[in-house]
Amino acid sequence: MIALIAAEWSRLTGTRLWLWGLLAALGSGAFTGLLALIGPENFTPPMPGLDTAEGVHVVLGLLGFTMFVPALLGTAAVTTEHRHRTITTTALFAPRRWTWLVAKLLTYTGGGLAYGLIACTVAAGALFAAAALKGVALGLPTGTVLALLARIALAMAVHTLLGAAVGAILRNQVAALVAVGAYLYMIETVLMLIPGVKAVYPYLPGGATAALTGFTYLADAIAGQTGTSATALLSAPLGAAVLLAYALIATAVAVAAPLRRDIM
Amino acid sequence: MSIEARGLTKTFGPVSAVTDLTFRAVPGTVTGFLGPNGAGKTTTMRMMLGLVAPTSGTATIDGKRYADLARPSATVGAVLDGSGFHPAHTALRHLRIYSRMGGYSEARALRVAELTGVSAFADRATRTLSTGMRQRLNLATALLGDPHVLLLDEPGNGLDPEGIAWMRAFLRDLAAEGRTVLISSHVLGEIEQTADHVVVIRQGRLIATGPISELYGRTAVLVRSPQADRLRSHLTVPTEVLGPDTLRVHDMTTAQVATAAADRGIALHEIVPERPTLEQAFLNLTGDHR
Repeated sequence: MIALIAAEWSRLTGTRLWLWGLLAALGSGAFTGLLALIGPENFTPPMPGLDTAEGVHVVLGLLGFTMFVPALLGTAAVTTEHRHRTITTTALFAPRRWTWLVAKLLTYTGGGLAYGLIACTVAAGALFAAAALKGVALGLPTGTVLALLARIALAMAVHTLLGAAVGAILRNQVAALVAVGAYLYMIETVLMLIPGVKAVYPYLPGGATAALTGFTYLADAIAGQTGTSATALLSAPLGAAVLLAYALIATAVAVAAPLRRDIM
Repeated sequence: MSIEARGLTKTFGPVSAVTDLTFRAVPGTVTGFLGPNGAGKTTTMRMMLGLVAPTSGTATIDGKRYADLARPSATVGAVLDGSGFHPAHTALRHLRIYSRMGGYSEARALRVAELTGVSAFADRATRTLSTGMRQRLNLATALLGDPHVLLLDEPGNGLDPEGIAWMRAFLRDLAAEGRTVLISSHVLGEIEQTADHVVVIRQGRLIATGPISELYGRTAVLVRSPQADRLRSHLTVPTEVLGPDTLRVHDMTTAQVATAAADRGIALHEIVPERPTLEQAFLNLTGDHR
């Protein structure tokens, strides 16, 4: 398994994908800093400032909104084997297919965690710097802010795994990227607009992530616009559990599905 | 270590790609796996490597299914049509990735690169490689585990004459070391000078197998002699008169014809063994005569 992970790492670092990942991680962290610097009170529409708990939640929540980026990177990394037809050689060198599927998922989850840590470290630095520059005290204690950022980093790792798993199941790179991107960016939000379906939202990956990272603004805003009451999110530990369950199910399906498929 | 197919069958929905195929490829020989495009060669090879699951029958290497081999890539090396490289990886990076997957040393990746001539373009991105270079890189990857068995699907595809000559000599050397080599091709000329043994399939079914010499069918001897008529009257085998001094003698070797002539004091001006080209034999076997 160590050899397979080393091979996978070598495969990843041999392309520019890791560089794009690094840039995206730095960029999304810096984006959070920029938002903090502008200040939520200057957004359109204006929101509570950084000196309130809601204001800090909004800024951090918008960082959580970039969760689809590591997910797409995971999808791209896994499907590249099918796109460039190296899958045949890989299956020859490790004919017990679950071994390299697990190695891939572990490698990219590790990559996703690195992505999350980089993005959140930059975001933390930028957030505190912005607050200091503006001379305001953050509306949440430092410990709480750091804990929220750590949860966002973990959620990013889980999203990378989910993206990679969808890639392993669908195989076609473009189809998998469109599916993951559309789901995370659009479909979940649309689901929240449907009165009956929104009851399940807390149990969807997006809802569970929002519970974990304490970002309720999206749900509240939609509730406000549609004039209905906001869907209550799960508690943070429960959200984490739901997210973990998704990760486990996705891993199981991604490892099991290709076992009996013919590789042509 | 032999490669063996026994009753191998694969259907894709209503289409039968391979039907009840049974044959063996043995160590120390190059076995040519012949058939027109779409005959089922690639599907058969992919079943032997565990990439495609047979509908029925078995494909084994050294008596085991590929996935059950203790060290698959150290037992079997395969060059498959349609396997690719990540365009951004260098040739050496590609070798290193699979060297790691197989548990081989860094030195081994460099060694196979040298052996196959990949060293000359090791640091180039695979997207810039020519067909010949890609084929060498495929072969280098297959050799990482120093396997006893080699399966090559259409290795000559897209190679220039120099590349084909190199590949031919390389494979002959590998077989001479006692390895089992199975090469598929739809072009007989490619295999004619390399293979000792052939397996011919058409529409997924076996139609001929045996030493390549047997594929030629009946041989004949062309004889030119001023006393052609006298020679002909002494022979008991079928003959054809091609001209006033020229005969075609069937079912005798050149040595037998020359001895028969010498015994009777008949002068021979020319004696040539004549056999149908293998290409013709191949077309006869795989063509639409039923």
